[in-house]
Amino acid sequence: MEKIVIGEKIMKSFGNGSEQVKVLDGVSVQIGEGEFVAIMGPSGSGKSTLLFALSGMDGVDGGRVVFTGRNLSTLKEQELSDLRRTSMGFVFQQPTLLKNLNLLDNIMLPSMRDNRKHAAQIAEKAKGLMKRAGIAELEKRDVTQASGGQLQRVGICRALMCDPKIIFGDEPTGALNSKAAQEIMDMLTAINEEGTAILLVTHDAKVAARAERILFMRDGNIRDERRLAKYTGTGIEDRVELVAATMRDYEI
Amino acid sequence: MRYRIIRNDIRKSKAVSFTTLFFVAAAALLLSLAALLMVNLAGSIETLMTKAKAPHFMQMHSGTVDRARLEAFARQQGDVEAMQVVDFLNLDGSQLIINGRSYADSVQDNGLSTQNKQFDFLLDLNGQVIEPAKGELYVPVSYRKDGRVQVGDLAVIAGNEFRVAGFLRDAQMNSLLASSKRFLVNEQDYAKMQAFGSTEYLIEFRLKDLSRLSAFQAAYTSAGLEAGGPAVTYPLFRMLNAISDGLMIAVILLISVLVVSIAFLCIRLTLLARIEEDYREIGVMKAIGLRVSDIKALYLAKYAVLAGAGSLVGFALSFAFRGALLENIRLSMGEGENTSLALLVGVLGVLLVFLMMMAYVRHVLNRFRKISAAEAVRFGERQEKSAGAKQVRLSRSKSINTNVFLGIKEVLARKRLYTTLLAVLVLSTFIMLVPHNLSNTISSKSFISYMGIGMSDLRFDIQQTDHISEKAAVLAKALESDRSVTRHAVLTTKSFLTVKEDGSEERIKIELGDHSVFPVAYSGGRAPAAGNEVALSAMNAQELEKKVGDSMTLLIDDKESIFTVCGIYSDITNGGKTAKAAFPAPSADTMWSVVYAELADPTLAESKVSAYAATYPFVKVSPVEEYKTQTFGSTMNAIDLASRVALAVALAVMALITVLFMNMLVAKDRTSIAVMKALGFTSSDIRVQYASRSIFVLLVGIVLGTLLANTLGEGLAGAMISSFGATSFAFAIHPLTAYGLYPLLMIGTVLLATRIGTSNVSHTKIAEAIKE
Repeated sequence: MEKIVIGEKIMKSFGNGSEQVKVLDGVSVQIGEGEFVAIMGPSGSGKSTLLFALSGMDGVDGGRVVFTGRNLSTLKEQELSDLRRTSMGFVFQQPTLLKNLNLLDNIMLPSMRDNRKHAAQIAEKAKGLMKRAGIAELEKRDVTQASGGQLQRVGICRALMCDPKIIFGDEPTGALNSKAAQEIMDMLTAINEEGTAILLVTHDAKVAARAERILFMRDGNIRDERRLAKYTGTGIEDRVELVAATMRDYEI
Repeated sequence: MRYRIIRNDIRKSKAVSFTTLFFVAAAALLLSLAALLMVNLAGSIETLMTKAKAPHFMQMHSGTVDRARLEAFARQQGDVEAMQVVDFLNLDGSQLIINGRSYADSVQDNGLSTQNKQFDFLLDLNGQVIEPAKGELYVPVSYRKDGRVQVGDLAVIAGNEFRVAGFLRDAQMNSLLASSKRFLVNEQDYAKMQAFGSTEYLIEFRLKDLSRLSAFQAAYTSAGLEAGGPAVTYPLFRMLNAISDGLMIAVILLISVLVVSIAFLCIRLTLLARIEEDYREIGVMKAIGLRVSDIKALYLAKYAVLAGAGSLVGFALSFAFRGALLENIRLSMGEGENTSLALLVGVLGVLLVFLMMMAYVRHVLNRFRKISAAEAVRFGERQEKSAGAKQVRLSRSKSINTNVFLGIKEVLARKRLYTTLLAVLVLSTFIMLVPHNLSNTISSKSFISYMGIGMSDLRFDIQQTDHISEKAAVLAKALESDRSVTRHAVLTTKSFLTVKEDGSEERIKIELGDHSVFPVAYSGGRAPAAGNEVALSAMNAQELEKKVGDSMTLLIDDKESIFTVCGIYSDITNGGKTAKAAFPAPSADTMWSVVYAELADPTLAESKVSAYAATYPFVKVSPVEEYKTQTFGSTMNAIDLASRVALAVALAVMALITVLFMNMLVAKDRTSIAVMKALGFTSSDIRVQYASRSIFVLLVGIVLGTLLANTLGEGLAGAMISSFGATSFAFAIHPLTAYGLYPLLMIGTVLLATRIGTSNVSHTKIAEAIKE
């Protein structure tokens, strides 16, 4: 399996002088093509920081991150932006949509930057994704006229517009009720089945149970790793139980 | 606790707080200065005119004077307190040489006078009545201002040497707008000089009661007494003295209105941004039951501190500036007696600024009432109804760059926020264009036609001499045969009586000749062509209550003739009261003749002036351009300077406000910027979005500002110009500068300011901003 993201001995601290806090302490991790990986850990263990470091959204103080063969810390801002726009998708805990644009325009936005001449094709693709996400009828709605679950689906559609190699998710279901969360996870699982790798940070055993590999973090490093069979839509309760047991071991 | 909140708040937004403080201080400074100057000017003028005992009514006259008849008239009038006939020895400019420089090029009628016995005293710079010794010359103070003369200089008048002993204040003729200037000499010297000039008379009256002035003036006119020249009254002297400094005060007032508006906009801008930033907190405060007035107090306190400090700083600074500004008033008119009143008025001005600021902050904060707690807590920002913006969709914007699209869309979606920036930009455009257009208009060649003078190259004055008509004919003949002269016109001014509606008669000076050769600017109607037509200057039309199409009666050769008023024109010459007609009146008294000529090559004007002056000594020749420079020169320079200052100020304000505004937007939009970056937009993409916002607003601002400048601005400038007697004002716009260079300058400035204001975009960390 080809590796998309390779993190080697990543170091990251926040603050200055005596107030400096080491958040990542030499973390090494690899994500393969089409893999579904979840990161878990107690608050302050460094899981979100790791996600931001691996996606190049935050720099590292030591070690390196290689994304599809390119060392992110050597890239210029321009090249990093190009990489994000063409190869990565992001889903955040809060629906991070632009309030001035309607939902369809929000999905189209990243692709329009380079290809506005093909606006019609881009719009077609975006509408197709909305249909797939079950929100086809919302395309002209404003951000304020949709529910949290619907907005999160719009966020996923936006992430899929560039056919990314990987989607990074930072607690993508953290702000949703359990039904909406399950729908989002069904959507992400389906995307993963089509070959897009997924790396997400979560507190929720039900979310992590969808992954095939779960990394447990504590005090700035990965302390354990569990591998599961690829999720095929059945036996979720057993998987959740397994994850929950490990979480208890780590007092998450 | 409240003190801590204010201190932290000011610390957090240093730039914005400092800017607000600065503008409040500037507004307080300007308003208190304007108030101070006004009180001082009024006081100084009053003091000068009282000390000098300026005449209440003064009739200038060239020709013989029947003193016995005048004295009899004065005795008859119960209102007259004192009367005197003052000699004024009109000198040709070339006979007056001070410090080696001749006054030949002066457009003023310079002449000698002696000190008066009863009233109309010429005062020294200490306000004392001057008694010159033999060989001493006192020079009008306006010549000290242009730096031509200093005390101790050698003066040569028609070959006789004098020593400049000092400067004099002349309550009548101090102003450059008064066309004569009196130099003071000893009586014996005066007697010696009398052969070298022509004597004019100032027939002066002091009345017991100034309110009887118009009745007295009517009595004088109907008595048919000496009237071979303009008549001037006490209120007009006062106005002449007030105009140039009054203009400065008007300009300061105008600027302070603008500065106050800018201070308001600053406050509005920062407050609105602050309210948006604190939207959720305000909602929470409302939700937990704090009263709107409690929340307002938190915000109001900070501005009370800023406005209070600004007002104090402005007031303190006004002490530093008042000296320089008062200098001109002190020099021309001396110290007034209103010092304590001036201080009080200054304090009132500052207090006014403070109260206006606080009222405005309260007004803006009224917005709190409209904040719905639920909406604020849920969305964290105001849900604006953005009519129009919805129609603008990314999916339909194939032809616009996506970043530009996002910028414009943002402006359309949040019009209210950007209205403030728009207002600043409209105002700045206005401030830039109006003085520039005014300056361009005044310095354009055609402006002379607003002054009551045709657009020509040379002006020949034949006055205060005998056989004027014959001399004018000789000159006209010479011009006729001069090949370098393309055309010329002889205009002869004669005095007539007009019969008013009520049957009373009034003397009116009419300039006769062909007025189509060098036409002046008509605010209504046209130049007289037929023999029964007459055109009136704006002031005369107003005084005689005539408009175009009305008829008026003139006494010609003792016969009443009916004329039609065919046009009304601007004039600032001869006190603004003139008339023009084309009928022949050989028997009427000629007062003076003016001949205008146009040259094939206008650059020859200087050499032509000396050639004609040498050949025809009875003529005073001046290039029209020179005439304009001398009468309007200081005003032109002042307006030119004002237009440069306005340009710099407007650009600075534009830059400052744009930097602040963008800075605040970037702080407020942190999350959106982070999202953009996460989606793969670069920092320069995002800066293009901000630049598109500011340029979009600027373009709208330029269009609105230009429209406003060409309508309201033109009206304002016209009102100012018309105070000199010129009407029908229209801007002569330099299109390349006004519509090319200036907009480019503004775009450059705003782009640069946006770049500086958005420099934080590249420092926005995605991870930090999104986690918040």
